[in-house]
Amino acid sequence: MTLEADIAATFSADGAEPFVVDAAFEVERGETLTILGPSGSGKTLLLESVAGFHSHDGRVTLDGRPVSDRPPEKRDFGFVFQDYALFPHATVSENVAFGQRYLGSSWWERARELAAGDDRRSRLRALVRDDGRSRRERLRHLARLQREGPDAPDPAQLLEEFGIDDLAERYPPTLSGGERQRVALARALAVEPEVLLLDEPLSSLDVPTRQSLRQDLQDVLADVTAVYVTHNRTTARALSDRIVVMNDGRVVQSGSPEAVFERPASPMVARFTGANCIRLADVPGLRDRLDVSAEYVAIRPEAVGLVDDGDLRGTVERVVREDATSRVTVDAGEARIEALTGSPPAVGADVALQFPRDRLHPVS
Amino acid sequence: MATIEGSWYRSGRLRRGSVAAAFVLAQLVAVAAAYRAGRPTLYAFFLVFSTAATAYAVEHDGGTLLALVRFLVVQAVALGVAVLVERGVALATTGRVEVGFQLWALLLVGFAVPGLLYVLRRTGTWSAGAVGVVGVALLSATGAFVVGGGFEIFLPLWGVGYAVLGAVAVAYTLRGSLFTVATATLGSVLMVALGLPLALFVARQAPSVVVEKALDPNVHRMLYLGIYGPLLAALLSLVCGIPLAHLLERGFTGQALVESLVDLPLVVPHSVAGIIILFGFGRGGAFPSVPVLGTVVGMVLAMTFVSAPYAVNATREAFEAIDDRLAYASRIHGANRWQTFRRVTAPLAVRGIVTGGVLAWARAVSEFGAVAVVAYTVEFFYPLAGESVRAQHAPVFVYNTYLQGGLTESGAVAFLLLGVSAFIFLVVRWLTGDTGGVLG
Repeated sequence: MTLEADIAATFSADGAEPFVVDAAFEVERGETLTILGPSGSGKTLLLESVAGFHSHDGRVTLDGRPVSDRPPEKRDFGFVFQDYALFPHATVSENVAFGQRYLGSSWWERARELAAGDDRRSRLRALVRDDGRSRRERLRHLARLQREGPDAPDPAQLLEEFGIDDLAERYPPTLSGGERQRVALARALAVEPEVLLLDEPLSSLDVPTRQSLRQDLQDVLADVTAVYVTHNRTTARALSDRIVVMNDGRVVQSGSPEAVFERPASPMVARFTGANCIRLADVPGLRDRLDVSAEYVAIRPEAVGLVDDGDLRGTVERVVREDATSRVTVDAGEARIEALTGSPPAVGADVALQFPRDRLHPVS
Repeated sequence: MATIEGSWYRSGRLRRGSVAAAFVLAQLVAVAAAYRAGRPTLYAFFLVFSTAATAYAVEHDGGTLLALVRFLVVQAVALGVAVLVERGVALATTGRVEVGFQLWALLLVGFAVPGLLYVLRRTGTWSAGAVGVVGVALLSATGAFVVGGGFEIFLPLWGVGYAVLGAVAVAYTLRGSLFTVATATLGSVLMVALGLPLALFVARQAPSVVVEKALDPNVHRMLYLGIYGPLLAALLSLVCGIPLAHLLERGFTGQALVESLVDLPLVVPHSVAGIIILFGFGRGGAFPSVPVLGTVVGMVLAMTFVSAPYAVNATREAFEAIDDRLAYASRIHGANRWQTFRRVTAPLAVRGIVTGGVLAWARAVSEFGAVAVVAYTVEFFYPLAGESVRAQHAPVFVYNTYLQGGLTESGAVAFLLLGVSAFIFLVVRWLTGDTGGVLG
């Protein structure tokens, strides 16, 4: 399923300058696209516009079929909200099964029954059998089956898959953040959406929960077409097939995670993805040594080598221990350069930095 | 009062406030009951037990049951002396006021305060004792007036003073800050102003007149009309008000104008509202074939005019309190606008909708001006009699009874109306208490 979106929308709040979102992206079948950007960059508004929550100009198409003139319920998306937006007055199982009634009455059971049939003829026979459903419902059912095959998920099975079957009769306000996230994900997947839209589903979780859920999400996203909005570069790098970086309502770069992280298109992208972005005018002599004509040069901290004799000398300003490595900030005149290393030097030590030429990326 | 547990006021100032509020309310009931029974000792009894219970509540926080026993002993002795003094003074025929004052001053200075101070010194619970001191002092002063013959005039007044000071003492004793004490004091004054007339109103009803009025068919018709008419008005306000509230919550062009129109009845004097209704829907108005003057239609229109703002605003606030994302979540997972309203928005707003309906109903029940102008006397079908009868809307009826029959008769009718309204209000609250699991 290919989703193409080209959206232009203006959002105005009382007393504030109107905010314009003007962005385009496309997602191929089975791919996970991440929209990465700082807070206030318009990424959530973009996603919500694609979902149909806000009126907008431009087009949204699914496999070439335009859906932008349809209301949200006809766009065939699933949505996981940042704060999950679970229905507080419904139990977990009612939440998960919420959308399925709009696919036709208990159609997942019918679908399973059909799946057991041998051939298309028996499927059709089962469909036209008078089982108390209206003709319109049966036809809708048939149309859907023809489109994507009879394997809609059973809500009970979804609950089990997400390990939340014991919560089925609980109400969302009594759940923990991680549990809510699973319920929200199950609810979105239960309608078998063509494309799953996710708006920072990990951001309101504590770190250990986030890590375990990120792994679960990785499994889920492997099977579906998804658009994932986040401001967290670690999550973006872990989950995406492709990344679109947004700033101030516009797309500033798109490409594979590797391209975005290694070859940022602008100093803003470089800083936001955690790369060093060195302004060559700040460091005399470096331009000649690196033989770069651009204004800036970007390099990932993990590529910077701490050596005895390198491209640039500086003083260690700060060392922050991370899990297996340490993040070393080196003061080199006007520039602050970060490097990751397993054996960090002492603070105040005089070190030399080595920039591997194949990891250097000129940025103008 | 005797069942106060230590735990429920521990957690914060609000809880302290509710202790103080309960204290004031209990005092008001006691004043009314004592007044009704003409028995000052009843009030003294109550006073003693409430003070003891408060002291228990305070002390129980520190875990000593002994404090309760201490207070009960002190108060029981005080009560015993009070009863003796009252009996003694009742025998005397002259100089009652002076005798009462002297005896109670003697009792207070000579016995209660030193005794209490002694107990407090021994146990060191000074703050808990404040309630006891204030209680005994006021008991003494109240008793002095009571046995002095000032009962008829002074007891309610002293009840007021006691209720307010009692709340101050409770707030202070529960380790409240100056701010808590100040808010409890001012709040109590308002509660007394609201509660005391009501308490005395209930206490001063003559049972025979109430029974007589309760059996009067005219009153039955009035009660029927006074519930049925407002019910129609509340339903009309809700049926048309919920969609309007939903629209207002979503926002639209020209919203400010619509909002002003909705709120207009709140500022229009109600007799003026009645005149407006007559101009709009009366003779020569919008629907010439529908008579409004003196009909149920006119009465319901007048009531709807004044009560609709309550229904619309309460419902709108309930809609506004719902996170937009819940509606988005419903829409994106397949529900259309109506299904989203039915399964998500409306169930979540049901409390607000019911509150709006109850407010509109209550406003319509209490409407006098507009109804008096449009439908002073209403002809309507009365199912209990199986025929069309004429009656007046309840407030109009009460006003009429007051003009013709005086305070006692109108008081009895008002009492019945109040009872029925309170009953319906409680039933509605009870029915809407459990709103879980409405999805589906």
